[in-house]
Amino acid sequence: MWADTLLIVFISICTALLGEGLTWLMVYRTEKYQKLKAEVEKQSKKLEKRKETHGDSLDKQHKKKIEREEERLKNNNRDLSFVKMKSMFAIGFAFTALLSMFNSIFDGRVVARLPFLPLTWIQGLSHRNLPGEDYYDCSFIFIYILCTMSIRQNIQKLLGFAPSRAASKQGNSLFGTAPGQFK
Amino acid sequence: MTTRTKVLEKNGAAKSSLASVWTRAFTSNSEWPDKEEFLDVIYWARQALGVILGIIWGLLPLKGVLGLLLFVLINAGAIYFYFSNFQSVDEDEYGGAWELTKEGFMTSFAGFLVTWIIIYSGLYYETDKLSSI
Repeated sequence: MWADTLLIVFISICTALLGEGLTWLMVYRTEKYQKLKAEVEKQSKKLEKRKETHGDSLDKQHKKKIEREEERLKNNNRDLSFVKMKSMFAIGFAFTALLSMFNSIFDGRVVARLPFLPLTWIQGLSHRNLPGEDYYDCSFIFIYILCTMSIRQNIQKLLGFAPSRAASKQGNSLFGTAPGQFK
Repeated sequence: MTTRTKVLEKNGAAKSSLASVWTRAFTSNSEWPDKEEFLDVIYWARQALGVILGIIWGLLPLKGVLGLLLFVLINAGAIYFYFSNFQSVDEDEYGGAWELTKEGFMTSFAGFLVTWIIIYSGLYYETDKLSSI
């Protein structure tokens, strides 16, 4: 039991490092990406500050300025996702192939015993391709997804590749709020 | 470029009279001029707490919904206590208590589940499997 679970953790660390390494090679180290990222971060912070100080004021000039900056940030964010997109697709394909390979290696094998009964809609994942009706038995894919969720994000954060909070907050608000909020 | 900005920020912080992040994280009512720094402390504290609770739950062993609920309560409670009582930060500066309470929660939860499942399976697989037959 130890061997299987620790092997999955190891696989997930390796794939996370490989993914980040490939993304670094194809995206992070390019000048275009670095320039855009720095720009987006600067603008997000500036916009956040401006919203904090003038957010409630009814001054039309300030609102116009904020709107203009939001528009510029939106454009930069779009460019940034476009730069990332191509390599993400390539990495996505490579990882789907890798995942199906691991899936066939661990096919039908109980790799762990769950200390809780998963919800019905998770059982499809935690009991995938396993024989029997004992839903405490855990499949490879469930542990792998959990490992990736925790390890990948932590590795990204450690290496400094995770998007900054200000940028993601502004990015979310761009899609989350109604347009013309500051009109 | 990002690395350079970070180095500059770090150097800037080193020049000021503020102690290192580690010292400030363990000292009550520390000053946090950089919001990101404090959010990072919360994030990593949460990850460490997740793994530690996962190990304890696996060793005990705690099972079922009780284990999951206890984790959520302790994780959220400890972090809430940390920022509101120990560090006494102004929650509104960070977008409210909810923003701080959920910072890095999902990652911590995933880390907790992984350690809990690994330790539990490693130690109790045979007994658990036999008892279920």
